[in-house]
Amino acid sequence: MNKLFVLIISLICFTYPAYSIEKDFIVEEFLLNKNIEKPIVNDNYNYQSTKRLPIKMTVLTPIKSEKDIFEGDNIELKVMENVFIDKKIIIKKNTICTARVETIIKNGMNGIPASIILGNFYIPDIDSNKLQNKYEKFGFDLSLLVYPIKWVLTPLPPLGSLTNFIKGGHAKISKKDIITIKYYPNQS
Amino acid sequence: MKIINYAILILSIAIFSNSVLANEEKLAKEQEIQTKINDCGYKILNSNQIENRIIFTYDDNEKESILKNNKTLLDREVIIYRNAYKNMENIDEMAAFIAREIVIASRSYDDVANGFLRSLQIKAAPKKFEIVADKQAVDFMVKSGYNPIGLITYIQKTASQKRQDLISTHNLTSKRLATIYEYIYTKYPYYLKENPYFNTESYQNFLLTSTNNRKMLEEKIKNSSKENLKYE
Repeated sequence: MNKLFVLIISLICFTYPAYSIEKDFIVEEFLLNKNIEKPIVNDNYNYQSTKRLPIKMTVLTPIKSEKDIFEGDNIELKVMENVFIDKKIIIKKNTICTARVETIIKNGMNGIPASIILGNFYIPDIDSNKLQNKYEKFGFDLSLLVYPIKWVLTPLPPLGSLTNFIKGGHAKISKKDIITIKYYPNQS
Repeated sequence: MKIINYAILILSIAIFSNSVLANEEKLAKEQEIQTKINDCGYKILNSNQIENRIIFTYDDNEKESILKNNKTLLDREVIIYRNAYKNMENIDEMAAFIAREIVIASRSYDDVANGFLRSLQIKAAPKKFEIVADKQAVDFMVKSGYNPIGLITYIQKTASQKRQDLISTHNLTSKRLATIYEYIYTKYPYYLKENPYFNTESYQNFLLTSTNNRKMLEEKIKNSSKENLKYE
């Protein structure tokens, strides 16, 4: 009887870890003790009025290439002109705003250009939910030139494949580039 | 003889009406699925202020035919095949699939010749745009009130793991999953902390199979590094 009891207990002890659930060490280490707010959801939209105002901005520090920045970086922008609603200024010229580098796409074969996607725009006193939150800047696109050459050369192998080595341009954002995002003031 | 004729007539009426009923039942079921897909798709479009027209269609075929053109890029029509649908265990996974396709469809509106060139680039180099679509799908899902963990569990269940991605048109699925996880960690950590899918088999399997990649991310967070990780 005792032997049977010992056997059952040892079986439980040995098999228990097999049923334990996998823990997420990243959550346990970095998030568990933090107070994190739920991200804002835009589910109260109302498109009865689709009035939208363009907000024009420029970067404070130019980005020479997508290699100079990292995804997740915040960059500073400056509003280029006053934004009005019913003759009332809602965003003043030269207001400093921020945006986040969301994604960087490296330039690729066949002339495909690099691109920098900015998002998470923050403009003081403006509800971010009412902003169209994406801007993408592409590098010089060579694919319009490369694809026809590729198709012409395809019957003469391997010449067609040589166009694979032509790479697209790097993405730059200079102070002259106007970053325009839309603001939907009437959205609830 | 007359009795036999009557019996045959009654039997054929019964078979006919049965098949009509079965067809109607099938149609009603498909209609229900289509409504669910439309609601989810348009909610994502509206919440994210996407001004491009995109439609959503449920297709009862098992999967896309190899000979068919890519409808997402060509017609801006998101098609959900039965094979994809049967893996959607919850609304978040459905939103994950639709949000990814919306990213691709809306990109096909940009640039030269009404988006022809951009569509060509996506078709020619899908690997490049795959991770972009994953990340933007996360943003779209969050803004429209869906849980982005659904994207992880859906990809975990549906995308197979190739041997390598060096000379492939697609990224390794493990790499995509790790990138999505990192993106959610940096931008929307709330969903990792309050994770209703934590105990599901697919998410547990993701945790099990992504240990090495998450260890790399752990090091990155500890060192406050910004460099892009080379996930396996």
